Amino acid sequence: MSISLRGVSKQFGEFAAVDDVSLEIPTGALLALLGPSGCGKTTLLRIIAGLETPEHGQVLFDGQDATLWPIRDRKVGFVFQNYALFRHMTVFENIAFGLKVKSRRERPSSADIRKKVQSLLELVQLAWAGERYPAQLSGGQKQRVALARALAVDPEVLLLDEPFGALDAQVRHELRRWLRRLHTELKFTSIFVTHDQQEAIEVADTIVVLNRGRIEQAGVPGEVYDAPQSAYVHRFLGQVNELPVRWQDGRALVGPLDITDTAALNSWANEHAAPHHIALVRPHEIDVGNESEGWRAVVRDVRVIGPIVRLELCADGHPASEPLEAEISRERFDADKFHIGQAVGLKFRRWQVYPASN
Amino acid sequence: MDSPAVTGTYQVPSAASLREREPRRGVRWGRLLLIAVALTFLAAFLLLPLMVVFAQALSKGAAAYVAAITDPMAWAAVKLTLLVAAIAVPMNVVFGVAAAWAISKFQFRGKSALITLIDLPFAVSPVIAGLTYILLFGAHGWFGPYLQNHDIRVVFAVPGIVLATIFVTFPFVARELIPVMQAQGKDDEETALSLGAGGWQVFWHVTLPNIRWGLLYGVLLCNARAMGEFGAVSVVSGHIRGLTNTMPLHVEILYNEYSYAAAFAVASLLALLALLTLAGKSFLEWRQPELRHGTRRLHGNTEK
Repeated sequence: MSISLRGVSKQFGEFAAVDDVSLEIPTGALLALLGPSGCGKTTLLRIIAGLETPEHGQVLFDGQDATLWPIRDRKVGFVFQNYALFRHMTVFENIAFGLKVKSRRERPSSADIRKKVQSLLELVQLAWAGERYPAQLSGGQKQRVALARALAVDPEVLLLDEPFGALDAQVRHELRRWLRRLHTELKFTSIFVTHDQQEAIEVADTIVVLNRGRIEQAGVPGEVYDAPQSAYVHRFLGQVNELPVRWQDGRALVGPLDITDTAALNSWANEHAAPHHIALVRPHEIDVGNESEGWRAVVRDVRVIGPIVRLELCADGHPASEPLEAEISRERFDADKFHIGQAVGLKFRRWQVYPASN
Repeated sequence: MDSPAVTGTYQVPSAASLREREPRRGVRWGRLLLIAVALTFLAAFLLLPLMVVFAQALSKGAAAYVAAITDPMAWAAVKLTLLVAAIAVPMNVVFGVAAAWAISKFQFRGKSALITLIDLPFAVSPVIAGLTYILLFGAHGWFGPYLQNHDIRVVFAVPGIVLATIFVTFPFVARELIPVMQAQGKDDEETALSLGAGGWQVFWHVTLPNIRWGLLYGVLLCNARAMGEFGAVSVVSGHIRGLTNTMPLHVEILYNEYSYAAAFAVASLLALLALLTLAGKSFLEWRQPELRHGTRRLHGNTEK
């Protein structure tokens, strides 16, 4: 099922949770709504589900206006952040719930229900757990039960609110891969909400970054990561070093480095030749080299994190309270043996410039 | 860079160090003292009076006891008490569930006013509650002439007693349910809706099982109060023997007539009814298999 949002807005009192959002979600998409808490992503998901009614705008399902359809007519599976499993029912009864509440005419026979639930239990790798109660399961297992329960009624859209939020890192990693596989197998339209950029990039085909109820940027993960359209998106999608840009005789400088005349200097930075701009540089976009070349800095801390090494650097003329972060490969580190107190020279491979207010 | 390798050995705790983990002497004494205080209190203020009730009831022998409780007037009081509870409790269950549902699942104007209103019967003396019904439905009350013209008796009759009892027991179910339902939020209900359940199915299969223990406690409290209510009922009943006397009123009359054994015999029946409801509750809890996962379930909730 394809979903279109047209100018959707939702207020809570004075607070605009969702503000004029338009979005096309094609059939079979696996889309992430990404943003910090309070950005409106969950409200948007609930509007698509039919759990909230927007004040303005339309929600279309396959081109039909579904704005006022109640949730039970939408063929959506909704999985809550805390799974919302029915505690007084066994895992089996939880998954069978959607089938058992169907009207007498549509309800499958109890043998068919049993068969379907069993196959769903196998799909989520919990064939052994049918007679357990939710309280006897781990977080990851509960999450899979919630998914199986949503899938039991053959939804055409699967909506997931922070699906991996409450799980520990290892389980989260496994479930992400499993969800991707499941999506490829079953081919429904999936939308999930997350505040974790890593998760969005890892799982989704399309990322929609939200900020204060509005869409900041939408696109495929690589594109959004590599070409953020605003400082907000740039910051949100990974670690950044924020450096003030100085203008001197028509040149843009960061420390001693000249960043004018490069493609990376956004066109509008020239347009608004205002004095206040910042350059955003990701830690892995900084080259750490010989002291004699580039921006002189002193190594303040070294952290070996598996395959990468993170250096904290105090650059000349840059406030010591905001040390720069650079990430280099382990091989590079093993070759050069940087140590605390060593003087080095920095160069930027990539950067982007934004107005400072942004 | 020098990364200082942290090495160390894990020491197996010795038996002596394990023993130190036992509560210290002072802590153990504190625990015993607390238990002793609680038990003494319980014995002095709950068990002793209960035993006195039964001892007094049987003070003139079993025959007198049987005679007292098979007395037609006593029997009429028992039936009236059960009838009043059988009307008041279900009505307050319906109201309590509806009010708790509205308050915990919806946002609306006047919500805090409603919560305050629900508490009103706790704040107002039952005697005043009874008097308001006299003022409303009595011969000289607001609706008095109308009721007289249509030959409907409210005050000094069963309807008045039922109304007064409902007023007094009004908050029990709602008060018990509101925090439970607020803590549970709407997720379960919304999930059930998304799975295609209708309103009644959601209530019956999801909400009710989630609140049933809170509801049971509310019903028990409501029932206990409905059967035991004295003040409000005393004002509206008119004390017509065999007609408008509930058990507590009957006990008082017997007591005032110096028939102590009979008074305590009826009182012991009232106490037995209370003990029966408690036993019924325990039986239900014991019958529910998944309640054995109950403690674990509570832990499961805290991890959310």
